[in-house]
Amino acid sequence: MTFEPRYVVQALPFLIRGARLTLEVSLFAIALGLVVGVLLTIIRQSRIKPLEAAASIYISLMRGTPLFIQILIVYFGLSEIGVDLPRFLAGVIALSLNSGAYITEMIRGGLTAIPPGQRDAAKALGMPNRYLWGHILLPQVLFLIMPPLTIEFTGLLKASALLSVIGVVELTRTSQEIIIGTFRPVELWLTAATFYFVMCFVLGAVARRFERVAAAYRA
Amino acid sequence: MKFDLSVITSNWQLFARGFGVTLVYCGVSSILGLCLGLVVALARLSRSVWLRGPAVGFVELIRDTPFLVQVFVIFFVVPASGLTISATTAGIAALTLYGGAYFSESIRGAILSVPRGQTDAAHAAGMSHVLAMRRIVFPQMMAYLIPPLTNQLIGLVKDSSVLSIITVPELTMATQRVLGTTFAPIEAFSMAALLYWVLTACLAALMGRLEHHTPTHRAARQTTAFLTVADR
Repeated sequence: MTFEPRYVVQALPFLIRGARLTLEVSLFAIALGLVVGVLLTIIRQSRIKPLEAAASIYISLMRGTPLFIQILIVYFGLSEIGVDLPRFLAGVIALSLNSGAYITEMIRGGLTAIPPGQRDAAKALGMPNRYLWGHILLPQVLFLIMPPLTIEFTGLLKASALLSVIGVVELTRTSQEIIIGTFRPVELWLTAATFYFVMCFVLGAVARRFERVAAAYRA
Repeated sequence: MKFDLSVITSNWQLFARGFGVTLVYCGVSSILGLCLGLVVALARLSRSVWLRGPAVGFVELIRDTPFLVQVFVIFFVVPASGLTISATTAGIAALTLYGGAYFSESIRGAILSVPRGQTDAAHAAGMSHVLAMRRIVFPQMMAYLIPPLTNQLIGLVKDSSVLSIITVPELTMATQRVLGTTFAPIEAFSMAALLYWVLTACLAALMGRLEHHTPTHRAARQTTAFLTVADR
């Protein structure tokens, strides 16, 4: 079987649309994942033992089981309890629930880079907790975790390929559907892989740039 | 909705068999992947561009594409070149290449963590490059290698669930078969998640114990013990 570029050219507009959906799903997922991550961080610092334990179990579960299974549980589970979500939304939820568990670990790492004196100073000034977190800790932490967060974004970009299984028509699913029509797996899969490669490679370069900026900030 | 335990109890054999297949696939491809990772890491550290170039290319290619797409490329694109490839071979090959690329990064990092003076001293003592690697660098790099390797092995176990898409009869595939007869997705997938969780937790615990037995870790503990005594 030979590689025939015309099949690639033919599929290109559809693949670009698929890649856009891949980017969209990952962007929503990282944004929501950040919210989940911040919430988990606050819960873990709440000093309410049952809540803390629940957060630890959640994090361990999310990190210790395959994302694929989590996606299937969210997708089938939601419809089982009668919530009929669009596939796109179910996908975003599954990805962000998973990502939040990783992001909270990044935030924890970022918090250790902030001198404890800042927290003490805020306490000494009588600042309420929401000011301490909203104005002092979180802005700095979010800046500090930009490099790993970008890497996490590329991770989500790659992970979103799994959403093809629940019928989100992102890049992978688009390729599959075109292959069903044309029987050209070679052209399509190699092109899809190239699309992913370019996106992740560019983001990797961005992450390295962020790393330099963040390193300068820490110094 | 209620949780029907009989879904799990009446299909435990399917789950057990799937779990076993997952273990075998992960075991085989971890070992093959570690060998591949070592070769790639050494190639990346070599002075020759002809070794470094392909090694960097391979690692970037694997790290910047989704595992699912890699599986599809191996399972659907490779056969187009005339090679017949079974789901088993494709599955093992995909996991091995994937693991190898990630392992190589940890191995490279661990080798670089061993102070340069150690190799210089070994060379000065008349050791060949290979001997210095085997006797001096490898034992010392283990303490640096095990923590990142643990994460990657866990990642490998989790990602092996993707192989169900090309009909490898591992745990996720087995779960989908249970689903086919019982129509109880919550129960079936929860059981699968639990089994994966147990597997990854055991793996983490095992690697943690292994870490305690590495020479550098023991040495580091002795040094810290010494330092704390001296501090007082």
